[in-house]
Amino acid sequence: MKIVVCIKQVPATTDAKIDPETKRIVREGIQAILNPFDTYAVEEAVKLRNQFGGEVITLCMGPPKAEVSLRESISVGADKGILLSDRAFGGSDTWATSYALAKAIEKIGDVDLVLCGKQAIDGDTAQVGPGIAAHLDYMQATYVMAVDQVTDDSITVKRMHEDGYDICEMKLPAVLTVVKGINIPRVPTLKGRLASEKEEIPVWKPDDIGADISKIGLDGSPTRVVKTNPPPARHTSSKKIEGSPELCAKELFRELRLRSIL
Amino acid sequence: MKHHILNKIYHVEILPPKQATEKLHEDLDSFVSKYNRVKESGYCACITDNAMGLLAFQGTEVIEEMNLEVNPNQVMIHLNTFHTKEDLDNILTTSKKLGIKYFLVISGDGSDRLPKLQPADVGATGVESVTSVELLKYINREYPGDFVLGVAFNPYEPEEHEFEKMCRKMDAGASFIITQPIIEKNPVVDKLLKIYPEVPVIIEAWMSKKLHLLSDAVGYEIPEDTEFDPLATLEQLHLLYPTCGVYLSLLGFKYQYDKVKGLWK
Repeated sequence: MKIVVCIKQVPATTDAKIDPETKRIVREGIQAILNPFDTYAVEEAVKLRNQFGGEVITLCMGPPKAEVSLRESISVGADKGILLSDRAFGGSDTWATSYALAKAIEKIGDVDLVLCGKQAIDGDTAQVGPGIAAHLDYMQATYVMAVDQVTDDSITVKRMHEDGYDICEMKLPAVLTVVKGINIPRVPTLKGRLASEKEEIPVWKPDDIGADISKIGLDGSPTRVVKTNPPPARHTSSKKIEGSPELCAKELFRELRLRSIL
Repeated sequence: MKHHILNKIYHVEILPPKQATEKLHEDLDSFVSKYNRVKESGYCACITDNAMGLLAFQGTEVIEEMNLEVNPNQVMIHLNTFHTKEDLDNILTTSKKLGIKYFLVISGDGSDRLPKLQPADVGATGVESVTSVELLKYINREYPGDFVLGVAFNPYEPEEHEFEKMCRKMDAGASFIITQPIIEKNPVVDKLLKIYPEVPVIIEAWMSKKLHLLSDAVGYEIPEDTEFDPLATLEQLHLLYPTCGVYLSLLGFKYQYDKVKGLWK
């Protein structure tokens, strides 16, 4: 089973800033992390590969430093990573991004399954996964909470919605976007991290994937950001207390005392 | 563990490199340097397990990967309940292979990114979550005689509850105790020593000058500008608790390390 996981490097949420001129996310000088939702997609791909054989390829479009996120995916079990990086990709909206990723998936070839996190925590659009499916004309399921069955030519999944879930059976190849809770992503081991540093990460440019230059970057993006406003900062936090009612009560008392509420 | 106390062997806390580090090799070198320094001093290196819920590499994997020599009497691994069953068994089997025998078994601090052991993972029934008690039982059952297991004692928790918990920890097979940091004579620790006179107790000495960082542990706010002399406090603790071992947390290796050497007389 050849599985491609599309991942994105995003700014750590609390640091996200928008350039007032370009209306784009300022990435310079800000800590970058692998999109947390994509960690679930990588884990699911690794689990499926371990169960059914094959390989897991992670694919990322972004600046050269996004290579770090590809290495992170390798450190938790992906077989290799590919970076789409070129100035021509810059400014791509979700349609142009999904076009570029789809072209890269075509170039990889013989892909059975494409996995994405349900959305990226910077743009929050949840459009790239479905966009890839549209460009490739693959079947798709979004908000997947479980993979129930895989055969040679089909996959059955549970798709989460507000009132429960749908069971969807799809022909392969297909695109899935997965939600938090589908699995528990493994934590990288030191051995995995060190091994990932030695992996060669190929960098593909528009020519390498046969992309039509008019369909990528700002020119290929129908979206125009007219105005952006950051949401008001949240000042709340939560902590889950687990255990018996008696222990929970004691811990709650301790927490309240710690905050000088009691 | 009694041997450690009789021979004035300090327990020195070392934090392994964090997962998020951008200078992994530098951090690994620093870890190796601290580990070897502790070993050469004849002390015991105590390696934390995702302390404060911050993701870090496991002590066992760092020791294995960096080919560090293990003297069984000089290494202690912290082990908490925030692992998958597979990771837990991997840590334990690797430790056995490396010759590590001391573990400090704690419930630990979790985070969204860390998995939590489930009762079924450790064969626990009748409990809603896994604590150090269930973890102790599991290790003693599955790895009988392989490890010496210690537990934490928090004198700042409600006393009755903490002693009841300690009783369950002892029943589960704990054979030594490490306290939360104390900076002066503590009546609850005194009571612990009276109740468990035969059990080796190691008191934790706070070696950072930033005493306010202890606010979370003690349960009340310590002002940021509180003056604190860790070395003088350590000397005092030795006088107050001559029968106890000492665990040095947040010890500075650059300036403090050599100064603590003559303090345990």
